Amino acid sequence: MNRRRLSPYLLGPVWLAAQAGGASAQDVPAPAAEPASQDLSMLSIEELAQLPVNSASKREEPLSAAPTALFVITGEDIIGAGATSLPEALRLAPNLQVQQVNGFEYAITSRGFNSVESSNKLLVLIDGRGIYSTLHSGVFWQLHSPLLEDIQQIEVISGPGGTLYGPNAVNGVISIASRDARETLGGLVRGTAGAFERTIGGRYGVALGTRGAIRFYGNWFDREALARGPIGPAIDDAFSGWQAGMRADFDAGASHFTLQGDLFDNDVDSLPGDGHQGHNVLARWSRSLSDASSFRIQGYYDYFERQYLLAFDSLQTFDLDAQFNATIGAHDLVIGGGMRTTRDRFINNLNGFALVPQSRRLWIYNAFAQDRIRLTPALSLTVGLKAEDTSFSGLELLPNLRLAWQPDERTLLWAAVSRAVRTPSRIDRQLEFQPLLLPAPGFVSEKLIAFEAGYRGQPSQSTTLSISIFYNVYDDIRTADLVNTNPLQVQLANGLEGHSYGVEAWSTIQLAPWWRLNLGASAVFKNFRVKPGHIDLSGRDSLGHDPDFQLFARTRMDLTDRLQLHAGLRYVGEIDSAPPIGAYVEADATLSWRLTDLVELYVAGRNLLHDAHLESNDSDRAHLAQRSVAFGTRLRF
Amino acid sequence: MTRALRLCLVLALCLGLAAAPARAQAPSADAVKAAFLPKFARYVGWPARMQLGAGAPFQLCVIGRDPFGRMLDQAAATEQIDGHGVAVRRLPSAAGAGGCHLAYVQGAAPADTGRLLLALRSQPVLTITDARAGPQRGMIHFTIVSGRVRFFIDEAEAAARGLSISSRLLALAAGVRQRR
Repeated sequence: MNRRRLSPYLLGPVWLAAQAGGASAQDVPAPAAEPASQDLSMLSIEELAQLPVNSASKREEPLSAAPTALFVITGEDIIGAGATSLPEALRLAPNLQVQQVNGFEYAITSRGFNSVESSNKLLVLIDGRGIYSTLHSGVFWQLHSPLLEDIQQIEVISGPGGTLYGPNAVNGVISIASRDARETLGGLVRGTAGAFERTIGGRYGVALGTRGAIRFYGNWFDREALARGPIGPAIDDAFSGWQAGMRADFDAGASHFTLQGDLFDNDVDSLPGDGHQGHNVLARWSRSLSDASSFRIQGYYDYFERQYLLAFDSLQTFDLDAQFNATIGAHDLVIGGGMRTTRDRFINNLNGFALVPQSRRLWIYNAFAQDRIRLTPALSLTVGLKAEDTSFSGLELLPNLRLAWQPDERTLLWAAVSRAVRTPSRIDRQLEFQPLLLPAPGFVSEKLIAFEAGYRGQPSQSTTLSISIFYNVYDDIRTADLVNTNPLQVQLANGLEGHSYGVEAWSTIQLAPWWRLNLGASAVFKNFRVKPGHIDLSGRDSLGHDPDFQLFARTRMDLTDRLQLHAGLRYVGEIDSAPPIGAYVEADATLSWRLTDLVELYVAGRNLLHDAHLESNDSDRAHLAQRSVAFGTRLRF
Repeated sequence: MTRALRLCLVLALCLGLAAAPARAQAPSADAVKAAFLPKFARYVGWPARMQLGAGAPFQLCVIGRDPFGRMLDQAAATEQIDGHGVAVRRLPSAAGAGGCHLAYVQGAAPADTGRLLLALRSQPVLTITDARAGPQRGMIHFTIVSGRVRFFIDEAEAAARGLSISSRLLALAAGVRQRR
């Protein structure tokens, strides 16, 4: 077959302009001129099918019209930033605060409350599977090492997740979505090597007939221990391990099936045997019932166990969810429900802290309904209510009211009032250390009423902008109360109340077809007090320690048709804690070179401005985040 | 102060690099899809009642969301198929899609795409969808294979609506669901 191959040099202007062409109006600004498509039109269909494309520019998120503070990290952004772990990829979201605590632990939050133990107000989902722990309501980020090349996008919502998301969506929601198996056909191998970290990952995908596909992946990493900082413990935090899994997608008429699963095992060098392992499997079926309705049903099983410094913790989860969508006249209805049961176990041989009982099964039920009513073509009102009942702490009602005004295609103004709660974790109620710490059977949910407003739009042809402000009123936040002085006795209680307020903003500016700039900023201020009748011996630990301000700038430049530079700067304000953690500026950069269409070489640097810096004030855990440079390659076949 | 200085240096570095002669790389997937769309008309045969009068254009409809914008208008403007041009129409829903020969279909959410496709099932229209918008598939379903825009073809569905698809287009498909 005599098929002409196209030289990228021949197509100079085509490549240049088309590069910027595919922007969706929602997020990435459209370029001023698009002569490209005319030139592409001259090509035959065979030539078009052979043309290497850049699928970076589009951010098609179903939530783009949603009246929330939503930031989307695309898979392309993650690869471009040279991230090798999920938490490092989350640094791309200006509405998150990411602290690297040590070689394997991260503390991540939105709108305040950051530290390993207090960042417990976030709901994190991987392909619809909730990954926060019922032990302490936080997320163990070290349990998740997916192949980043398979990630489609990460949606980061700051603020309450409304009624549609599961429990714990108080301060934010992170939803990580992997690619449909039919989009990852063929093979990919990635390897990186640096003084600090080595990784190897790969995937292979094959079609199953014409309507389905399956892929298998594996991801291995080996990280050196980080230097000990001024406050942290003398513990070796070297971290190594692997994760592997599969995903299959299949279409049959109006139905779509997904089956996926993961398996992982990793080690921390703190003590022999320390580390984490687990597995999960998820199945989902969605179906269009008519041109105005559809439903989705999903179930998963998840198990993990952690061993760290003589403490052992495991969690087994079964979850079943169903959701029904329908459009009736001016109403978009969503109705759903779910049930989840967990069985946990916590054995502590390190010190006297214990959960009583050591193992427990919990049942969590929820039902929700939401209606988006189009009042006028430009104005819509969303009313939602979720009821959540747990066998542990009883019934909670989570209402939410949102107003969206879209005067034109380029402007969305929104405002919302929501109630959200963090239901008690096992630690909140059943942690004890006899005779010093008493269990707290009366511990109730931490509550939030959030007032939010925002703007999202495209003020000019080449710029997108999102600004949101919030005022959060919290009550019943956790304290460690002094209940008796002789003998000294402490009990967890709901003794803090207060408010926080702040602003988040981000913008994308397409300076030229080959040059994109991202700017972001966030600020949060907290004002809390211990309620009358309470004495907090923990020194307000549950409020975490947050920087007032964070500033972000990123640039992506296509220097030549084969050379691409991604670089980012971040400023993180001082963390007011004892000891204080100084403000810092750090930079990362990735220079990648596509040698051929199938071979890519790159060099990626992280924390380039300092040898080492401290991001966390956690005296039990913190090590220094260090400069690292790694060389990498990606091969496709 | 040294921090601020370093910040300036890094910015200067970035700006310096930016001044280097730049050629951008591959076209976007959407630009290539936009180029494909009007060309499909050349490789599809419609039933007699959809035949065009002299000089009348094929109607390429974009139903629901439009990810292509002007790229599609420009691609369609240059297309001439046996004396017929290609006219682009944008429709918010399947209502009024009667005259469409080709329909690119994308709802606000994947389920919406499915609803739009169902609403079009009674007509002899070549439906086109994109894997990135969701799993619901039209007769032609764009996907990316090894960094190239490719598509699956549901020849069985097309045949059921009275459409015939040329072997030249079928040969390019990443997969074909054949008619029985």
